[in-house]
Amino acid sequence: MTETSAPLHAPASATAREEALAAWLRERGRVAIGFSGGVDSAYLAVVARRTLGPEGVVAIIGRSASYPAEQWATARRVAESFGIAVRELDTAELDDPRYAANPSNRCYFCKTELWTKLAPVARALGCKAVLDGTNADDLADYRPGAQAAREQGVSSPLAELGFTKADIRERSRELGIPTWSQPSSPCLSSRLPYGTSVTPQRLAQVEQAERALRALGIVGDLRVRYHDDLARVELSRDVLADWLVPDRLAELRVAVRAAGFARVALDLRGFRSGSLNVLHGVTAA
Amino acid sequence: MSVRRETPGGHTALEGALAERGLVCRVEARSGLAVLIADAATVAALGNADLRRDALALAREHGFSHVAIELRADASLPRA
Repeated sequence: MTETSAPLHAPASATAREEALAAWLRERGRVAIGFSGGVDSAYLAVVARRTLGPEGVVAIIGRSASYPAEQWATARRVAESFGIAVRELDTAELDDPRYAANPSNRCYFCKTELWTKLAPVARALGCKAVLDGTNADDLADYRPGAQAAREQGVSSPLAELGFTKADIRERSRELGIPTWSQPSSPCLSSRLPYGTSVTPQRLAQVEQAERALRALGIVGDLRVRYHDDLARVELSRDVLADWLVPDRLAELRVAVRAAGFARVALDLRGFRSGSLNVLHGVTAA
Repeated sequence: MSVRRETPGGHTALEGALAERGLVCRVEARSGLAVLIADAATVAALGNADLRRDALALAREHGFSHVAIELRADASLPRA
């Protein structure tokens, strides 16, 4: 089991960290990566592919109703572009009542489901290690899913080597990975307040609303937070003022209502990572 | 960790405080979320970053960690 903690002697630059990552990977041999197509796991998979060759890495995607279809498409595109072998498996976290009840440690049950299904597949494929894309910034956040990863012996080399999100974006851009500028994309269940049960219908509603907003041309960070009949839309602060115009707000409302929300409200502070953690007192405002 | 909670009657007090800044709206409290139900004029006013900051600060003072605005043509209807 690998313990992930803040690095004591992280290389000074992102380039040096990438060299250290390549060395770290070479020591492991063939690896499996829990692959979502997000910024972090895409970068890790590409570096692993470059370092270990096409036989040295397999990217494993766990699919469920909480995983956005758009994210899956990105994951497949990245893998195809960089010649990364992919396997897919279905996860059933929504069938676990402990997850579906949506407690504040919901992610623990989701990641337990993911890693307990993924690890045997990785072993069967001859992988010596299972990795995830946790980065050094994540260590400061409330992430109960990290505990599940530790329990299942999953390694987090980006965190171990001190990669920040900014490092990963910088190196991804340098390597031509299209996800370098992609907003962070946690699972759809993160849009539901703790205690609001997670159902496929609610996840689909949120996903449809977010897709409709993207279709309006909204770029950057975007979340539709589920509050029963009301959708609270968080936009990147860069574009927030553009939508605080009555006609445009009305347009936004129509798009979100089409996903089944009776009411739509635009958050005045804009996007906040872990916004619902703050609302429910899990983390400080 | 310290997250303030909306105080009883906080939404009506917030309505008054916002009105003093010229932001006329109804406030609906949903735990730590204040939903400002407003007409087009108030929405347009909140396009101003300074006023928006004021509104957020006032909401925090009244115990709300989150503030969102809902555009409603019937924003002046009496509270349900």
